Amino acid sequence: MAILSVEDVHTYYGQSHVLQGVSLEVEPGEIIALIGRNGVGKTTTLRTILQLTPPRTGQVIFKGENVTDRPTYEVASMGMGWVPEERRMFSYLTVEENLRVAVPKGVDPAPRLEYAYELFADLDEFRYKDAGDLSGGQQQMLAIARGMIGDNDLLLVDEPSEGLAPMIVDDVVDALRAASEDTTMVIVEQNFSLAMDLADRFYLLDQGQVVESCSTEGMTADDERIRRYLSA
Amino acid sequence: MSESLVLVPLLLDDPISSLQVALRVFVEGLGKGAVFFTIAVGLTLIFGLMGVLNFAHGAWGMLGAYLGGLVMVFVITGGMGPLTVVLIFFAAIALVFAVLTVTGAVMEIKLMRPIYDRTPMYQIILTFGVALILEELIRITTLTFGQHPEVPWRAAMDTLPDVLGHRYNILGAEIRGLYFFEIALGVVLVLAVYLFLTRTLYGLYIRAGSEDPEMVQALGINVRQAFTVVFGIGMGLAAVGGVLLMWDPLWGPTAHLNIDILLYAFVVVIIGGLGSFKGTVVAAFIVGMADSIATYVFHQGYIDHSGLPEITVFGLLVLMLILRPKGLFGVEEVGGH
Repeated sequence: MAILSVEDVHTYYGQSHVLQGVSLEVEPGEIIALIGRNGVGKTTTLRTILQLTPPRTGQVIFKGENVTDRPTYEVASMGMGWVPEERRMFSYLTVEENLRVAVPKGVDPAPRLEYAYELFADLDEFRYKDAGDLSGGQQQMLAIARGMIGDNDLLLVDEPSEGLAPMIVDDVVDALRAASEDTTMVIVEQNFSLAMDLADRFYLLDQGQVVESCSTEGMTADDERIRRYLSA
Repeated sequence: MSESLVLVPLLLDDPISSLQVALRVFVEGLGKGAVFFTIAVGLTLIFGLMGVLNFAHGAWGMLGAYLGGLVMVFVITGGMGPLTVVLIFFAAIALVFAVLTVTGAVMEIKLMRPIYDRTPMYQIILTFGVALILEELIRITTLTFGQHPEVPWRAAMDTLPDVLGHRYNILGAEIRGLYFFEIALGVVLVLAVYLFLTRTLYGLYIRAGSEDPEMVQALGINVRQAFTVVFGIGMGLAAVGGVLLMWDPLWGPTAHLNIDILLYAFVVVIIGGLGSFKGTVVAAFIVGMADSIATYVFHQGYIDHSGLPEITVFGLLVLMLILRPKGLFGVEEVGGH
């Protein structure tokens, strides 16, 4: 059974009809990439899945339950994590406090924090530093760690490589690979080769609709189906 | 003549008595600062997390003063010792805090939630409307019982035990006991709120939610529930401030405490930086000192205008708005819904 089904969702920002009937399915253990040009609705798709921007019509099924229009905190508590675009650290909180917020209530935080520090040595070094003082790469690590230490079965990752130096991107890819061992993922990524490298399957979006979906195996940016939608 | 020009000749004339005056002005400034912190901290907590400008804040302080006064007037009898009176005062604070925290939480759920999706102007009008209704209800009630709403409720103020009403000689300076009591309560409250924000999980959620409530929700935390808790506690703290003012001879329970508390609370949180706890502590100290110095200058007759302390305090506000509009420790953006 799919861990996530998005069924014909239509999402609006005011009068603007952003998602025009998006449907997708994610199987447990998969990494799915959402690709497409800027402004085609990739981030909105993630926000719709998490009910931050609920759809006007259509539904989102997560772990067999219809979560459409449920409060975001309830959907997140069911095991859906979010690594948002631009990281969105709590910049006045320390690294440790940022992580602590993500540990579910009633769970001993110590092992979770140690797990995060084992994965990301930089975070261990700066655990008492304000998150706002970290570099872009360190913040991205923290955002991923924050998504990983909850009881999440599905992680929604938005533009993980955005604004990072190539060397740091390699570290981020390693971190995402480590995360994918325990968690199913949906990744929005502008960097096509990175997306293809990480993902098992992809959905190509254009003008608020899924126009292509298939396995990433052997897929290159030169493929005519891809080129048509990704070129400006 | 500026305050510094007034104080310089005094300091030169007689260093000992000048130091005694400075000590008295300083302690009174601390006491006033403690009061200002108490009436402002709830406002800053609510704005910090929710982005709501709560104009009903002063009304809760006013209710606190009257409810605290009611408890004191009905419970205190002639033969009680000062310790018993002070203990009953603390019981009154606890009771008023509990009742008005719950009432504040109910207001958040029933009145504020339905308008969160609208512009902030709706919140301002609604909270101000609630404040005006409550103030009028207090006027009606006090008049019904033969008490003028503009005149401090003497019976409540008279429950102040002599031990706090007396002036004590500290290194030659004559200082009223109530100021020490207010300072002690202020310190306890600063510590309590600080520990709540930094040492509890709920405090962590509140600090995170002040920065990015959407992200906090996406981490599985019910921000709406946090809004209710913070709104209730913020109102409860305003009410505690009101109970403290009930005994203060400069304030006392009146209907216009509603506006007086609101104005001073806004001055403190704007100078400190809207939503900043640290800013509220520092600004309360600054405003308390400024008020104390201006009061001293007025009482010396150097400037014969009883509104001098108010002019000084609001002058500070204007100065801050011109020089640093976000306040001493304010951030560009705060939380919201």
